[in-house]
Amino acid sequence: MSKKVGIPKGLLYYNFYPMWKTFFEELGAEVVTSSDTCKKIIDDGIKTCVDETCLPVKTFMGHVIDLKEKGVDYIFVPRVISVERRRYLCSKFLGLPDLVRNLISDLPQIIDMKIDYYRGEEFMEREILRVGKLFVDGTSKIKDAYEKSLKRQRTFECIIREGFSNTEAIKIMEGKKLDANTKGDLKIALLAHSYDIMDDYLSMGLINRLKNMGAYVLTTNMIERDKIEKGASKLQKDLFWNYGRDILGAGKYFIESEDVDGVISVSAFGCGPDSITEDLLERDYKRDGKIPFMSITIDEHTGEAGLNTRLEAFIDLLRWRKGEIMA
Amino acid sequence: MKITYPHMGSLNMILKTMFEGINVEVVEPPPVTNKTLSIGVKYSPEFVCLPYKINLGNFIEALENGADTIIMLGGIGPCRFGYYGQAQKETLIDLGYKFNMIILDPPHGRLVDFLKELSSYFPDVYWKDALKAFIFAVQKMIIADKFEKKLLILRAHENEIGITTKIFEDYMEKIKNAKNKKELDSIYKEGLEKLKQNATIKREIQLKVALVGEIYLMLEPFSNLDILRSLNELGIEVTKTDFLSDYLINSAFKLPQRMEFKKYAHGYLERDIGGHGLNTVANTVKYAEKNYDGIIQIFPFTCTPEIVAQGIIAKVSSDKNIPVMSLSYDEKTGEAGYQTRLEAFKDLLERRRLKNIKKY
Repeated sequence: MSKKVGIPKGLLYYNFYPMWKTFFEELGAEVVTSSDTCKKIIDDGIKTCVDETCLPVKTFMGHVIDLKEKGVDYIFVPRVISVERRRYLCSKFLGLPDLVRNLISDLPQIIDMKIDYYRGEEFMEREILRVGKLFVDGTSKIKDAYEKSLKRQRTFECIIREGFSNTEAIKIMEGKKLDANTKGDLKIALLAHSYDIMDDYLSMGLINRLKNMGAYVLTTNMIERDKIEKGASKLQKDLFWNYGRDILGAGKYFIESEDVDGVISVSAFGCGPDSITEDLLERDYKRDGKIPFMSITIDEHTGEAGLNTRLEAFIDLLRWRKGEIMA
Repeated sequence: MKITYPHMGSLNMILKTMFEGINVEVVEPPPVTNKTLSIGVKYSPEFVCLPYKINLGNFIEALENGADTIIMLGGIGPCRFGYYGQAQKETLIDLGYKFNMIILDPPHGRLVDFLKELSSYFPDVYWKDALKAFIFAVQKMIIADKFEKKLLILRAHENEIGITTKIFEDYMEKIKNAKNKKELDSIYKEGLEKLKQNATIKREIQLKVALVGEIYLMLEPFSNLDILRSLNELGIEVTKTDFLSDYLINSAFKLPQRMEFKKYAHGYLERDIGGHGLNTVANTVKYAEKNYDGIIQIFPFTCTPEIVAQGIIAKVSSDKNIPVMSLSYDEKTGEAGYQTRLEAFKDLLERRRLKNIKKY
């Protein structure tokens, strides 16, 4: 019987799931994901973590507990250190497997693959082989699985660039048919970490709410690399968090290009990296003064009504600026 | 050029010595007060950590006093401190200040490279003078840290509340103004003697606590409501696990002490996660194994590496059977609430000791 690998639906799941899934399936394992985020998952996470932990990490813990209860042989909790050279992820990703092991008892085996492109391809290859050996013996088979997973990841990223959210793209990869939402007369850039906006439960369906109000939403992942690089080149010092840099780079790009009607940034309450990047972003938009900017903070106490009111007011502002609403 | 820099414990003393040694005019940032903090909070992002807010307050107060050049340390992540200088610079520009900002990113190599980078900002200074000034500053730093280590034990035995603190402050001022190494040594000897004379109380149960956590909070008494003094005055001997000298040696010059941390943290945290997260976990294990009575972790509210560490050391606490208390600080922290928690922690530690004594 094939071994079951559980992948928690949280944090970088939204960025790398198709790749991870392909890798384990090619090795002959069965991949199981945790259930969609729900009250129980969040409550489990909150009970497990210290209270100052950010909501995405608390939720992730809830998903790990969900997988434990489902009964899997392994849970995949990668230690994602760096996905591009000279740049890191936030501290919580660097210590994630340690945090999971110390906070949750009686776990199945944790696959703590180190993902560290800072150290180059050779290091990654060693890690891939280390993890692959849990399932098969042949080196070439593991390398093959890794190559296939990289290819899947490229397809996934292409789908996102066509205008699908990460969640939609995952569905498409699994065979669903969806239409790209490039309609909407207002173009809004939603600058945030994917795990803050892709989980519909955490963000309270933020993207769909905006779509229903007639907006065409552009996330950081949908934006072409060269645009982000162009924006990021204006930073006085290169930023060492890659996702934070993407957010800032995209933000700076839109100030120049002026091809969005408004910009919304979303961050989790108490997020360390975002406290700095959001301040820099907001400062840029204030100085420039041409494109309206709004920032939203989410935590486990965020209320739906408050969020809706703010979104409606923001959309009204954008429409009023376009002359669609008379004062 | 009138130079200023942020406060961080005894850093002021060291930088002042160093810059005056190369004849650069220094505008000391005024001592950290509630006013400093209020100014900093007003212009800082909401969720940024307390050190950022205090630093920004220092800069504004020093610029108001005539400073025109700010020196700040940088970093290469993943702790957000590495980008503080850039964010603070933008804030000060928006507030309309005219200044230069020198942000020193930590060297990737040797001490010499660091000094070279620093000296490139001061073309008129001779390399030899700079080195001499630097060495003397480091000597002061080492003496000051040694003196404080003694204080943190002796103050728990002081004959009259506040007396050793007074002596300590007087002698730190003397160290700050010392002109040469010989003077420095005699000040230290005299100060230590005085501390000893005024700290002779002995207790039946002598508690020992290790303070772990984020470096700024540990070094700057204002930011932690002077927790060291509070603990000492409750009669507890304290070991502070990070001093300025350790910080400079470990972080700026990358000596292999990190290996020691990795060894202690093994099994709990397998790599450096930025900031002082690894140090916190390693020190908790280290002092738990040294049979200390308890561990207190202090860090700024929203500090990500310390939050990760906080979750992990809770496990260390139950594995090694040692009480651990975590305290996070921001501008809204109230003194009375924290004092109560310290007193309760002391009671807990005392009861555990009593229980152990009865066993035998």
